[in-house]
Amino acid sequence: MSDASTPDSVEPDHEHEHRHEGPGYATPQAAIEEGEREKLAYVMSLYVGTDVDAPDFVSVVDLDPDSDTYCEIVDRIELPNRGDELHHFGWNACSSSCHMEGLERRHLIVPGQRSSRIHVLDAQDRRNPELETVIEPEEVFEYDLSAPHTVHCIPDGEILISMLGDADGELPGGFLELNEDFEIEGRWEPPGEIEMNYDYWYQPRQNVMVSSEWAAPETYYPGFDLEDVEAGNYGQRLHFWDWEAGTVEQTIDLGEEGLIPLEVRFLHTPESTHGFVGAALSSNIFHFWRDESAADGDGAYRAEKVIDFESREHDDWDMPVPALPTDILISMDDRYLFGSNWLHGEVWMYDISDPSNPRRADSLSVGGTFGEVQEVQDRELAAGPQMIQLSLDGERLYWTTSLFSSWDDQFYPEEAERGSVMLKADVDPRKGTMKLDEDFLVDWGECPAGPARAHEIRWPDGDCTSDVWQ
Amino acid sequence: MTSHDVTLEWPDGRTRTVEVDENETILEAAECDGSVLPYGCRTGACGTCSGRLLEVEGTRPSNGERAGDGDADVCAVDDVVAYRRLPRALKDRHRATGYVLLCIASPRADCRIAVGSSVHSELVDNPWK
Repeated sequence: MSDASTPDSVEPDHEHEHRHEGPGYATPQAAIEEGEREKLAYVMSLYVGTDVDAPDFVSVVDLDPDSDTYCEIVDRIELPNRGDELHHFGWNACSSSCHMEGLERRHLIVPGQRSSRIHVLDAQDRRNPELETVIEPEEVFEYDLSAPHTVHCIPDGEILISMLGDADGELPGGFLELNEDFEIEGRWEPPGEIEMNYDYWYQPRQNVMVSSEWAAPETYYPGFDLEDVEAGNYGQRLHFWDWEAGTVEQTIDLGEEGLIPLEVRFLHTPESTHGFVGAALSSNIFHFWRDESAADGDGAYRAEKVIDFESREHDDWDMPVPALPTDILISMDDRYLFGSNWLHGEVWMYDISDPSNPRRADSLSVGGTFGEVQEVQDRELAAGPQMIQLSLDGERLYWTTSLFSSWDDQFYPEEAERGSVMLKADVDPRKGTMKLDEDFLVDWGECPAGPARAHEIRWPDGDCTSDVWQ
Repeated sequence: MTSHDVTLEWPDGRTRTVEVDENETILEAAECDGSVLPYGCRTGACGTCSGRLLEVEGTRPSNGERAGDGDADVCAVDDVVAYRRLPRALKDRHRATGYVLLCIASPRADCRIAVGSSVHSELVDNPWK
């Protein structure tokens, strides 16, 4: 019997029945126990913004050490158009629908950040997914939305996508809802709830969703400009939503130390109201939680800076180099917070057993501006660690190196010539340590049409950055 | 229908002259011609398709700012192209120095334009380096 199906572990007002007949796992612990070792990865791969005459593609990477094609891209699903900038993607169903008999974790929803085109891939054959449906940009613009980002499924089979801009690439952004047939259902939230948008995560048992802020597409698309920071064009707020109503209940301004809050994660346990967000430009990590004893509100959310990465001096840079922590994730057992400092060249893990007081467990200095390891298997690393993904058992951390094509060109221009890599560290969760696996290297520099960038990573059967429990 | 000759110039020295109607964009005409130009949003928001105006036929060099080393002076870019929509990805300083969004720009004069992914990279540099 799963944890969540134990009557004592269920809140009295929680009506969800814990029959596990649908996709995913009954609980986060079940994912750890029942999930197999990842043998394939889907990775966003892109040519947008380069002179290579080829569309972006989804890579299928062989992660099975016993396979003859280990560390190779064994399939590439080319999309129909150039110019998409594939970025983040998600499943049509995850563990939040574990009670939905007949629903499968089968379709990958793959948006183009620049094009606003949304692709649906049928991944029933895990090694050879096929393009099934394309929602063209014009259909998206009809809802005065553009720049699709985070894809999560809603527990009943529908899909919600955070959209960063309006049809003109300006503010406000919002959320686009797709139905189970992958047609646009409409705008999920009442227009005007937020201005900026980026990532989001929901905790349905607590009836809460949290969303973060990057900027208007017209601001971040061309590249990072300090003028935009000075003009207040970048975000620094978190929004806490009533998940059922789709309305913002509370907004927290993180201030100057919370500039550009990007990836936002609740702990996996559906009972928890704790989570973390990385403020990339300020190089800080914030902890947020619901303060039940808040005197000025009924269970208001609080946010507090808990990790601060100092800028570092470098001879080749005129000003101290910020760390730029661009991605974070929480291990499936909710014990560790992992992250990547893209500019410094570091992956790190903090013990978050006490989420208010993260304790630095270990880090790896690899790639980036300061990395102690600058090549793996004689392959020079063109950029720092960026998008990360962790095995369900928490023992293998993988990462790619591309952030966003135009930002890559500013900070690591050589990545356009060499392409991205995917690297791996072996993690010892018991001791809280990481070790770079120098036998592991996937190289996007050798793609047939030319060097490509690699971005977000997903496992075929659920992972630490997409599964939610109801 | 009036058309203009737009000469596209890549960093490796390749050039291609495309005849562009006044009601089509330079990107559309280049695609019909089989020329590969970078693009993204196709709505003027992302800047991926940025080109840089090098010369306008029939106009004397203006006193405008130079667009870059080795480039001819440019006259007001807004007189050379008509935009279907607002070129949101370009800041005033970009437009003043001759940058053009080819996905929404139609020519109003014969001209030469630097193209290729490196033009987009010129819009912003690393502010810390």
